[in-house]
Amino acid sequence: MRKVVTGNYAVSWGAKLARAQVIAAYPITPQTSIIEKLASFCANGEMDARFIKVESEHSAMAACIGASAVGARAFTATSGQGLLLMHEVVHWAAGARLPIVMGVVNRAIAPGWSIWTEQNDTLSQRDTGWIQFYCETNQEVLDTTIQAFKIAEKVFLPAMIVLDAFVLSHTSEAVDIPEQAEVDAFLPPYRPPLKLDPEDPRAFGALVLPGEYMELRYKMQKAMEQALSVAEEVDREWGERFGRSWGLVEPYRLDDAELALVTSGTVTGTSREVVDALREEGVKIGLLKVRLFRPFPHQIIREMLAGVRKVAVIDRNISFGDSGVFAQEVRAALYHADKRPPVFDFVAGLGGRDIVPETIREIVDYTVTHDAPTEEFTWVGVKI
Amino acid sequence: MKKETEARVIVFTSEAEMPMMPASVASTLYNKTGSWRYMRPLYKNQTPPCNAACPAGEDIVMHLQLTAQGRYAEAWETLVRENPFPGVCGRVCPHPCESECNREYLGGAIAIHCQERFLADYAAAHHLSLPTTNVPQREEQIAVIGAGPAGLSCAYHLRRMGYQVTVFEAGEKPGGMMRLIPEYRLPKEVLEREIAAIIALGVEVKTGMRLGVDLALKDLQGYAAVFLAIGQSVSRRLDVPGEDAVGVLHGIDFLARVERGQKVDLGKKVAVIGGGNTAMDAARTARRLGADVTILYRRSRAEMPAIDEEVHETLDEGVKIEFLRAPVAVLTANGRVRGLRLTRIELGAPDASGRRRPVPVAGSEYELEFDTVIPALGQVADLTFLSAEVQTERGRIITDEKTATTRLPIFAGGDAATGFGTVTAAVGSGKRAALAIDSFLRGVERPFPDLAQNVQVAPRPHDPNVVRFEDLNTAYFEEIPRPPQDQRPAAQRVTTFQEVNLGYGEDVALAEARRCFSCGTCNECDNCLIFCPDVAVLRGPSDDEPFVFNYDYCKGCGICVSECPRRAILFAEEIKFNDQ
Amino acid sequence: MREPKTYARNYEIPEEELTYSGSVSCPGCGATLAMRYALKALGSNTITVIPACCWSIIAGPFPYSSLTVPIFHTAFETAGAVSSGISAALDVLGKKDITVMAWAGDGGTFDIGLQALSGAVERNEDFIYVCYDNEAYMNTGIQRSSATPWMAWTTTTPVEHPKEEPKKDIVAIMAAHRIPYAATATIAYPEDMIAKFRKAKGIRGSKFIHVLSPCPPGWKSEASDSIKLTRLAVQSKVFPLYEIEHGDKVTINVWPKDGGVPVKEYLRLQGRFRHLSEEAIAAIQAEVDRNWERLVVRAQRVMGNE
Repeated sequence: MRKVVTGNYAVSWGAKLARAQVIAAYPITPQTSIIEKLASFCANGEMDARFIKVESEHSAMAACIGASAVGARAFTATSGQGLLLMHEVVHWAAGARLPIVMGVVNRAIAPGWSIWTEQNDTLSQRDTGWIQFYCETNQEVLDTTIQAFKIAEKVFLPAMIVLDAFVLSHTSEAVDIPEQAEVDAFLPPYRPPLKLDPEDPRAFGALVLPGEYMELRYKMQKAMEQALSVAEEVDREWGERFGRSWGLVEPYRLDDAELALVTSGTVTGTSREVVDALREEGVKIGLLKVRLFRPFPHQIIREMLAGVRKVAVIDRNISFGDSGVFAQEVRAALYHADKRPPVFDFVAGLGGRDIVPETIREIVDYTVTHDAPTEEFTWVGVKI
Repeated sequence: MKKETEARVIVFTSEAEMPMMPASVASTLYNKTGSWRYMRPLYKNQTPPCNAACPAGEDIVMHLQLTAQGRYAEAWETLVRENPFPGVCGRVCPHPCESECNREYLGGAIAIHCQERFLADYAAAHHLSLPTTNVPQREEQIAVIGAGPAGLSCAYHLRRMGYQVTVFEAGEKPGGMMRLIPEYRLPKEVLEREIAAIIALGVEVKTGMRLGVDLALKDLQGYAAVFLAIGQSVSRRLDVPGEDAVGVLHGIDFLARVERGQKVDLGKKVAVIGGGNTAMDAARTARRLGADVTILYRRSRAEMPAIDEEVHETLDEGVKIEFLRAPVAVLTANGRVRGLRLTRIELGAPDASGRRRPVPVAGSEYELEFDTVIPALGQVADLTFLSAEVQTERGRIITDEKTATTRLPIFAGGDAATGFGTVTAAVGSGKRAALAIDSFLRGVERPFPDLAQNVQVAPRPHDPNVVRFEDLNTAYFEEIPRPPQDQRPAAQRVTTFQEVNLGYGEDVALAEARRCFSCGTCNECDNCLIFCPDVAVLRGPSDDEPFVFNYDYCKGCGICVSECPRRAILFAEEIKFNDQ
Repeated sequence: MREPKTYARNYEIPEEELTYSGSVSCPGCGATLAMRYALKALGSNTITVIPACCWSIIAGPFPYSSLTVPIFHTAFETAGAVSSGISAALDVLGKKDITVMAWAGDGGTFDIGLQALSGAVERNEDFIYVCYDNEAYMNTGIQRSSATPWMAWTTTTPVEHPKEEPKKDIVAIMAAHRIPYAATATIAYPEDMIAKFRKAKGIRGSKFIHVLSPCPPGWKSEASDSIKLTRLAVQSKVFPLYEIEHGDKVTINVWPKDGGVPVKEYLRLQGRFRHLSEEAIAAIQAEVDRNWERLVVRAQRVMGNE
């Protein structure tokens, strides 16, 4: 079934098709329509789920933690400030090894108030132990939401599906909505080996002494590492079943490229057009979209960028005192490569400022005209 | 994870063993928190004040516990294990146990004597036989002189230990002084039944055998041991002119004649001299025979040795008591009593007994008319038959704390050795002698508390510390009044020798037993079990060990100690147990 | 197994133990005993949720547990929310016979967890929320909470400047949510406590039970006095035992014997009140009396209506 839906509704449809059993959420712009849709699905019986209308995002995640610990498939969605309020229990979900799935609409952080897109909210959750996907289209959002459950439940780590505020969340696209039976065939019910169960009573999350803590963290990291291959496998299976795959990263016209743009989220779509236009003009440019940010696919990125002469990373985020976060990761990934192309970092589009084709051309021009970066990163479009 | 009963220490040695998240795989039983403890609670029954006060060494708290459970036969057996005269003592004992009872402060002392009587009456109604002991019979023959409470108690206990016992009694019937207690206080039927039960165990009683007259000490040489329980049979004299006149009748002689059914002509007005129980018995008996009775006592009410209830009942029955009066002469006419010359008395400084000495008031003498004068001033023992080897002192046979006289294997007890005492004291004395004789003959050591303290044949393990009211946790006790005992009305009483006190019925006895604090004695109230935060109190294997501490885990918080309502748990420094 | 005597029993308490020995609670810990009673009442088909509090430690370090029922340890302020999630999940999974019990200290209830608790009970989630109240942040070393009584010493309210604010009335706050059941209980009254937990178990929706739990190190009291203290708390009316149904129907469950005892008897056993002047004690007495009278009036209004 093809439907024209917003990015937010694509999230809602994904959660519905994944048969999420407990949804706990708190409204925040621009996430609201995700949960409105889900509330409507629950109310009209299209979903057999309990929707807990909690009093905060912190409680939303806490309720999902409780639900998931009992063995239910739990889902929530939030954005910006809400995600930050949640932060403590975002860690908790991962440490408790609960495969909760969360849709996050990227929103810039206050003050001052901003409801527009920027990745600082999700990137500040980088070290929580969550799997993170950054999506480019509404179809990808829907597909990734369902995939995320499967990956999360295989490695027992929670997963976030990230989409840009408004640019994707409130933009309608035609989306192929799979049949429930096909999704059911793809995603079996969640059956954790250990759960809160009076028949097998255990204490979860007790005090861990220094003698054991590190081993538990070791296991989390191993699970994250495993998530790379699992995500690849799940995406391939998805492709086999539904005719679409998204990859952990997606190279675009990168084969003979001398300059590679590295993008995430909706900037990718705009960048594709600029790449096409520049190719017309004879510029050997390609693009690498990073879809899976955690676990970070170092090896693949290393291989993909091995042949290029320059790399330009577009970061819709900033790590104050350093640079854009994606650039940090890309540079780190390339450090162990035999040939290390210079990595230019461009911080652009903060607080929802538009990144238009001209912005990307500006970035390309800068990269082409400089042999190497002269600073850690370059501000794009700053007016002062 | 299954419920665990064993401590398991978990050490992960491989990735596979360790859960992916911090999920438990064992219980906290691995953590022996007992090592934290510096104070250790101990189940150790302590001494209830009633038990401590009982001259017969009864385990009162235990028989009350059993009664409280409706286990009357076992309660009675517990009682008669220490005292074969519960029917007698339940009626006539001045119950020093009740004077010490901690219940006094929350509704009145437990009516222990009524409980005892209830059990005796229950046993009679259900034809219960004294429990027999399953011990090997012993060849040794023991002679007991005197079939009063001391002699019969001694004979009973020796028989229970397997000895062959012969009791020689001077009188026509066994019972000694118990026989002189008037019917309205102690029905003869009760006494006869309890004596018969002892005889039924195989004790031989030879009556009409007065030592010094019908047999001599040397005749008893064939016996392995002799117990002298000859009592005090000689009445104290008034030592005033006219004392030998017709119409002067000593208290015990008067009571003996009434007991034998002989007619006693008292005339109309009777004076009873004395303030003890014999004086009350004589006065009330005379009253029942139709006389107008006045008791004359040389001290005041506070000094009267008679049991309080007895004094009340005596007054209720219309007997007059005049205090601070003493006879100076018996007035006679034609050799017969016509009255008394009396002097008023003042109380001076305390004498050796601690009571204030009566001092005649000069010039206060006056006369009153009486037809009969009954002195009831107590008795002394007739020790004239004793050889010099059995030493005496001030009218008493000298014994040590084991009742041994100065010439073994002669032992002595009862009033002749201890001085005038109660039936219950005599029962205790006889039991002490039985235990001493057994120790002597078998050459075994047995702990004997000094004579002021009781002794038991079947002591429970306990701490000698006596539990007092302030030791109890009274939060667990309601104030509940002591139920009164039914009594015949006084107006009816003076016309009959029927029993005055009617005892408790089963319902009242049960409720009264449940009112007992069970001082120092665990009765499984469960408080220790319930209030232990650490599940370190477990139900024990037997009634003797109803709870056990799990010292592996007990942290020594002491909640069980402070919440034990009855102080049956001690708290001791852990360091004392380090060698264990 | 021998049949225990029962005639002298002070309480009828279920025999089954659902807590293990070997927990690291302090000697005389009221909260440890409270859990023992709570689980005896609720039985093994129970899931517990424990936010940061003394019980995070008492429940045992990984990989051990001091309970025979499942425990979910969670963040300080999340007991209400996590319980909501568990309850909802059990409902969806068709496991409707399992009782969910949140077990939080006063910090996790009165202070940091109040929002999630309020949210959960406002939604009338089906669970029992228990606050074992030891009247300060005891696990962190005795800092004042909003449950700390007026004038009490804590490390953050030293005797030179003891707590100047009265204790928050948490039961009133809960009752104001119109939840089906709110009650107080304490360890000196195990039968009352167990009856309340059983009653709560039988009610669908949010139940709140406030359990006064002495902390010997924090109250500066003798470990052996923990039962005595809670008995005195009830008898002095400092901590009356009552329940409020649907925010309205007030029932006093234990009436102090013979009109009660002065608060001084309760206060004097605790070092945290040692600095109190006679005037302060009189003020506490007056406040306790006022609160009691108000409670009695509310209870009598109910009795009068029935």
